[in-house]
Amino acid sequence: MGLAAATANLEWGECLVPAGPVPPALQAEVRKAVGAVPGWLARLAPSPWLVRTLCEIIKRPFAHAPLEVCDLVALVVSQENSCRYCYGVQRALFKIFGYRDEYLDALERDAQVSELTPAARAALDFARRLTRANPRPGGADFEALVRAGFSRPAAAEIVFAAAAYAVTNRVGTLLLLPPEPLVSFVASPVFRFVRPLLAWRMRPRPRAPEPAPRPDDGPCAAVVAALDGSPAAGVLRRAIDGAWASGVLPRRTKTLMLAVIARALGCAHGEREARRFLAAEGLAPGQLDEILANLGSPQLDAREARLVPFARETVRYQPAAIQRRMRELAHGLTAAEIVEAVGIAALANAVCRMSVVIDAC
Amino acid sequence: MLIAAAALAAVVVALALRLGRTRRTVAALEERLAAAAGDLESLQQAFARFAPAEVVEDIIAQGVSTRSEKKEVTVLFADLKGFTTLAEHLDPDVLVRILNGYFERMSRAITDHRGHVAKFIGDGILALFGALEANPWQTNDAAHAALAMRAALADYNATLAADGLPALAMGVGIHRGTVVAGVIGSAELIEYGVIGSAVNLAARVQELTRAHAVDVLVTAAVRDALDPRFTLHAMPPLEVKGLPDPVATFAVDRFDAETRSQVPATP
Repeated sequence: MGLAAATANLEWGECLVPAGPVPPALQAEVRKAVGAVPGWLARLAPSPWLVRTLCEIIKRPFAHAPLEVCDLVALVVSQENSCRYCYGVQRALFKIFGYRDEYLDALERDAQVSELTPAARAALDFARRLTRANPRPGGADFEALVRAGFSRPAAAEIVFAAAAYAVTNRVGTLLLLPPEPLVSFVASPVFRFVRPLLAWRMRPRPRAPEPAPRPDDGPCAAVVAALDGSPAAGVLRRAIDGAWASGVLPRRTKTLMLAVIARALGCAHGEREARRFLAAEGLAPGQLDEILANLGSPQLDAREARLVPFARETVRYQPAAIQRRMRELAHGLTAAEIVEAVGIAALANAVCRMSVVIDAC
Repeated sequence: MLIAAAALAAVVVALALRLGRTRRTVAALEERLAAAAGDLESLQQAFARFAPAEVVEDIIAQGVSTRSEKKEVTVLFADLKGFTTLAEHLDPDVLVRILNGYFERMSRAITDHRGHVAKFIGDGILALFGALEANPWQTNDAAHAALAMRAALADYNATLAADGLPALAMGVGIHRGTVVAGVIGSAELIEYGVIGSAVNLAARVQELTRAHAVDVLVTAAVRDALDPRFTLHAMPPLEVKGLPDPVATFAVDRFDAETRSQVPATP
């Protein structure tokens, strides 16, 4: 079995959430953003902030880092996370852009032996380590990216790219999203005739630099500020604010999940932010210490008692094990709560990984 | 002229045939390379259960890994009580079947709680928590694993009894401390393992389960890091080989899932 087939053929059960109605305005927004209506929209629609975040990631919000490197980062992160959904989509996109399977296989096998620049190799190596987060890379690793030849804004975008796929991979794997029709289409005989047209239509274009959004006073503002100058800053701000404002899960529950993930990743910034907002929610520091030390406490409500230990399991996982765990968790939660919980865990994983950019400041 | 044209055509045909053969050979080689890469990837993923990913990559790339580091880990040592005597009275096939069934169930209880089985030593098991990846909850995980092992053994004993086979009894010792982790061994046999007094103490504490007539014992270092919802009771300190002072231990009775207070679910 080839390398691509190994990831593409991972066991994948039935999607955890049903396809539901999509508000026409949201559907139109997605179509305008990504040029089509992806299959996941009908499943993720209960969390519009998550839908918008995925659309913004798909649009590649990069002004400084080479787009090819960002796309390769997406591929190796998806491979590292064994996300069959994202990996399939990424391979399909590369096929549309004219990459040979042999080249991609060589790249996944060993970035050192493939035809890459030293800077691109450093980016892929960093992306792998950020994904594993064992331990989470720090400021020195960011500086190594800069020394490898990336400008500081470009290096920050590479961090964003690697961390952003922590979101898409988790959403794809934990919810068991079914493969997109695009994945099978690139294997069809018709594909070679329409490939140039598709490539022209879908080829990413670099974005213009953008200042970080003002005001930037929501949670994890320092991480957003460290991306100043990149369109990614706005994407991150809108994702966090959207998740924060969403009413599917209580704010306290979401922040507890962030605190647990920050603790698991050794992200001091994320934990500090969670502490600050939980204090505002009325949770005493001692109570939070108890929850974080034991992943449980009489202070938690029944839903939190399930979501807090679950948050920890989303940090490093094997697909089969986390999907089994997701099925257990899904009992007693509504489809909207399942989507929201996965989205929050995914975003918290991304933000805590992205905080490498503040470690470097 | 005709002869020259025919000769040229023959050469072209021969070259075309050769080119076709070469292409097929290259395609077959590429296919084999891809298959080998896939196998290597699967192997790499499988080995990641036994050593950190970076260590596995070192070994695949260079045949050796020189990475070693000090780590705070939780060590769980399990051993079967009276198994040597039992072994003398059992048919070898039955003995191996019983032992393998035991190892399988205990290993599952350990891996289900984010531990990894470092090695089997006779009928003993050395498991580590927090060795392969940073784990702030390693001690709770180890204690939960021990309780899961207790439940799994009770279940296994019921199966053994139904088959007319003797029951097994187990002792588990858990200690938390700093160890040196790395690839240890010779060119013929290497393993990712840990060295340090914490490992020895866990083994000694496991031996104390006999003296105290309990199945799961933890040290004070574990008790201090443990979720208060575990119910422990203190055992009288006892001397162990290799340590100057008696060792205080605590038997783990159970884990009490708390009564949860209901917090209004308002966003």
